[in-house]
Amino acid sequence: MKQNKTMQGYLLNTVVIVVLFAAFQMLTAAYGGSGSFKLVIAPCLWQCCYLIILAASLNLVLGFLGQLSLGHCGFMAIGAYTAALLSLACERSEVFKNANDPVYLVIIFACILAAGVLSALVGLLVGIPALRLKGDYLAIITLGFGMIIVNIINNLPFCGQDGLALGSASASLYKNGLGFGSKSKVTFLWVALLTTIVCMTMMFMFIRSKYGRCIRAIRDDEIAASASGINTSFYKVMTFAYSAFFAGVAGALYACANATLSTSSFAFTNGGILNSTFIVVMVVLGGMGSLTGSVVAAVVMFLVNYQIKNGAWVALLPASVQGVFQYPMLVYAILLIIIIVFRPKGIFGAYEFSLRNLPADLKASRARKAAEKAERKEAGAHV
Amino acid sequence: MKRKRLLSILLALSLAASLTACGGSGESSAPAVDGESAAPAESSGEPILIGTISPNTGNLAAYGTAVTTGAALAVEEINAAGGLLGRQLEIINADDQYDPTECLNAFNSLVSQGVGLIVGSVTSGCTSAITGAANEEEVCLITPTSTADSITTEDDFVFRSCYADSFQGAIAAAYAKQAGYDKVGMVYCAADTYSKGLYDSFSAACETYGVEVAAVESTASMDVQDYTNQFAAMVNAGVQFVYAPFYYDVIGPYLVTQARAAGYTGVIMGADGYDTTPDYVVDGADLTAFNNVYWTNHYDPADTSEKSVAFVSAYEAKYGNTPSAFAALAYDCVMMYKAAIEAAGSADPVEVRDTLAADGVVYDCITGTYSLDETGTPVKGASIIAFEAGTGADGKPAVVSKLLDVVTELPQA
Repeated sequence: MKQNKTMQGYLLNTVVIVVLFAAFQMLTAAYGGSGSFKLVIAPCLWQCCYLIILAASLNLVLGFLGQLSLGHCGFMAIGAYTAALLSLACERSEVFKNANDPVYLVIIFACILAAGVLSALVGLLVGIPALRLKGDYLAIITLGFGMIIVNIINNLPFCGQDGLALGSASASLYKNGLGFGSKSKVTFLWVALLTTIVCMTMMFMFIRSKYGRCIRAIRDDEIAASASGINTSFYKVMTFAYSAFFAGVAGALYACANATLSTSSFAFTNGGILNSTFIVVMVVLGGMGSLTGSVVAAVVMFLVNYQIKNGAWVALLPASVQGVFQYPMLVYAILLIIIIVFRPKGIFGAYEFSLRNLPADLKASRARKAAEKAERKEAGAHV
Repeated sequence: MKRKRLLSILLALSLAASLTACGGSGESSAPAVDGESAAPAESSGEPILIGTISPNTGNLAAYGTAVTTGAALAVEEINAAGGLLGRQLEIINADDQYDPTECLNAFNSLVSQGVGLIVGSVTSGCTSAITGAANEEEVCLITPTSTADSITTEDDFVFRSCYADSFQGAIAAAYAKQAGYDKVGMVYCAADTYSKGLYDSFSAACETYGVEVAAVESTASMDVQDYTNQFAAMVNAGVQFVYAPFYYDVIGPYLVTQARAAGYTGVIMGADGYDTTPDYVVDGADLTAFNNVYWTNHYDPADTSEKSVAFVSAYEAKYGNTPSAFAALAYDCVMMYKAAIEAAGSADPVEVRDTLAADGVVYDCITGTYSLDETGTPVKGASIIAFEAGTGADGKPAVVSKLLDVVTELPQA
């Protein structure tokens, strides 16, 4: 029975995803060339894709393993530079000549995979010493790590100083390869979507496997978990590396979407929403321990950031509200305060959205609310 | 429970309201400008759209304000004089937050609104994120202040109204030689396009002029808040002239005072990023620290040419402060568009681009009278400006700027 239900769930999800994906492909084919799709929707989808993967991957460490990591963008930087440099190397050694080359697709996926693998390796190296620490100490180590990565990249002659960070030459350096312009972003939109779907599936499978249950046990009580025979160090380091893998993949997508790299984009904080702090905020906002929550939070944060600066409707608002919107960072702060006041555990809490369980979840939620109401009434009657 | 919720909503709302109040007063100039430029067009035809991309929020917000106000002033003057080709100009401002990703978003958003002529972005790092896109979308881009050499070399649709770093860094090196310093040091940020570009050109020019670079120190990023170790190294190396290309947001509060505290007494030389530094000096700081700080700039606000005086007085009348070079350069960008649109007889981006790229067109602008070289960079001179402790316009002690020299051509080695 249980097996059956799981199968049903997988089947349902697969069908829905395939239908959505196919529908999206058709939409892209129909409207791909036109202005607003090419200039607004496609770049936005690219950004959503890498933010989703990034937030979800951090959730593995922060929400499921319960360890605070403040250097997640460091892994992303590794991924981004790996992918960009690899594509540049392939182009220079004439493995492919232009984007129409059949090998080109293989190169794209090879770059994305290599980005993930290298990040995971670094994650392993960092994780082994760092995860001996807990809480604040681990946070400080990861924070330092993020800065170290950025500095190393800056000072490596082939990627920072003279490689990929010099003005518009940086755009042209790998623009024939992985750095997509507006048109290629539409053509290869499916790469971003497919990568995101595959990554999310892998993460879901991970948290539902025995590994997932083990790391949740570690989060809830490390001593009890260890007493039950769970090798806590192994699982911690493995989760850290697994999470780093996806951060690297997100970095590769970032490299594709932006066509130019500078390490300031991967700092602890910066002007935009892509930095280690904001990724933590996304995870907390979505709900620690809910992958679907991270997806929603990443999209929400992106849309809020994008809309208040570029949305046409902003011009219709009264001048006083526009005054606030001149300072996007304040709007996030207000939003964050409101959400945390009303939903202290984030938008989703630990709840996972699931198509199969949706009717049952709705029913349960309604029943719970009714019960609460009845209870309150009863309490009132007694007073 | 309910009351608590109500209370929190009220609290959140009042927070929002208080922010609105700050927002309104701080940025009052920019929206007002929008309103005016969007005034109903009397002339026939749709307005010609000009977009600006600048860091209106974030660390470099002062640049954003300067660029939007400078461009708005130019548009207003053109509109008051009847517009271009019988059409009014309309300006749309976009914010890039000094972040390359946001800059690309802002660019795409402007283009999807039908903007074909863009002024921006301010920093070289941000501009380099959109030059490729400008070429692909066939949108004209004139950057007011991105001085990195590589900005205009690769892409046909990209021009600028400032000089390039290879000139700016060389000017500083020539000044060091001329002032008799044979041994110099450098503090820069290897991660930043602007700082690294100036580092490259300064050190190359030092070699040409036979000046020895005795010590080089790098910082992790452009907004590091501690420069003590770097300048201690300069003191150890015994140099009396340090080239430090950073932006005003660290020069005013941190770099200069920390350099003096570290025992460094010599010259600190910078570039156009030092503009507006006096506004960012911490209250109560020792202003004499800013003696012996020199920098290269695009123009001098005290310039007495007729055009410059008219611009400065119009700007002061409208915004109540002296325009920085960034405002002047943004003003010039719009004026370059004006000249190109008039010459092309069309506001079509491709035709405007062809006119801008044509040889021998001379632009008579605030920051000089110049023509563009084959890459799209103006051939013009630089002002060398010195800071010194003095008295501000309000009678209080302040850091003031003084024009030292105007260099139009690089001296021979």
